[in-house]
Amino acid sequence: MSKSSASASGHALWSKMPKANTELFALTYGSLVTELIRDYDNADEVNSQLDRIGHSIGVRCVDEFLSKAEVGGINIPPCQTMKDTADVVARIGFRMFLGVSAEVANHAPDGSAFSLFLYDNPLSIFVELPTAEEAAVISGGRGGCDLSKIKYSNIYCGVIRGALEQVNLKVDCRFVRDV
Amino acid sequence: LSAERAAAKIERLGFDVGYRLCERLAQSKPLGPGLPPPGSAGAAAAGGAVDPAAMQLEAVKFLCKEFWTEVFRKQIDKLQTNHRGVFVLKDHELRWLRRLPPEDETARVAAIKMLAFPCGLIRGALSNLGIAAVVSCDFLADGKNMAACSFNIKIKS
Repeated sequence: MSKSSASASGHALWSKMPKANTELFALTYGSLVTELIRDYDNADEVNSQLDRIGHSIGVRCVDEFLSKAEVGGINIPPCQTMKDTADVVARIGFRMFLGVSAEVANHAPDGSAFSLFLYDNPLSIFVELPTAEEAAVISGGRGGCDLSKIKYSNIYCGVIRGALEQVNLKVDCRFVRDV
Repeated sequence: LSAERAAAKIERLGFDVGYRLCERLAQSKPLGPGLPPPGSAGAAAAGGAVDPAAMQLEAVKFLCKEFWTEVFRKQIDKLQTNHRGVFVLKDHELRWLRRLPPEDETARVAAIKMLAFPCGLIRGALSNLGIAAVVSCDFLADGKNMAACSFNIKIKS
């Protein structure tokens, strides 16, 4: 799928979706992460819960994506290679649900892996995560959660994993770097 | 996790979000004539000439119009008050409840759980405006329309 037609499709689908207030979205997600930290108090557990939540969302996203595309008369040809999949996820999928496209890069030589770059992450517009030293100060000697290890936007990993699983692609998705 | 604890959690989530969202939204909007902008210290003391009941009404009106529009893309349909610190806000079609199957008991139960979040939103927004209140909700669905609900605000005096 050519780049420009993918972007155009993404934009068209985005315009058909009912919208919500970005700040409400970001703040609600922030409250959710806060509650998770309060409940589990362990960075790895929080990350895996976010991944699990994302997975449930992703599974439903795919149906929405395909049905909206069909209704809107937007043709998404079946993906032949991983590269096509990457483009569809980044340019159309992300664009449709979040309003921002992701960039694709770093294709592995055997075509089995790729990187997604999200420059404008709507979830983290108000967020600062502490560095390792600050996190140590915050937890005090409580032995509680190491806040710097939290992958704040880990829900995306779950969404991608869940969505691709529905189209019979088992993937592993990990955050390399979060803001 | 028991139902009450879950509801309390969701309400607390709503409170945090409502508090912060109100902070953002109220920054640029003056709350009626002669009222200091929210967040300024000693606002209550400085507003000696301002009638607290009028200020409460202004705050609730802001909630019904601007705040509700930002969150639900429409205004509150009906506002009632007894002018003694009790307000009833009615929304005849809450977006979040629109897709519930009509006349379904599990849907009712689910809706009541979901309404805890907007209750928290209201309480948080009022708290940001300097008003402490207790908010409860009622599900007004009449079989066909599952999205009607009302929120009762009781200002703590």
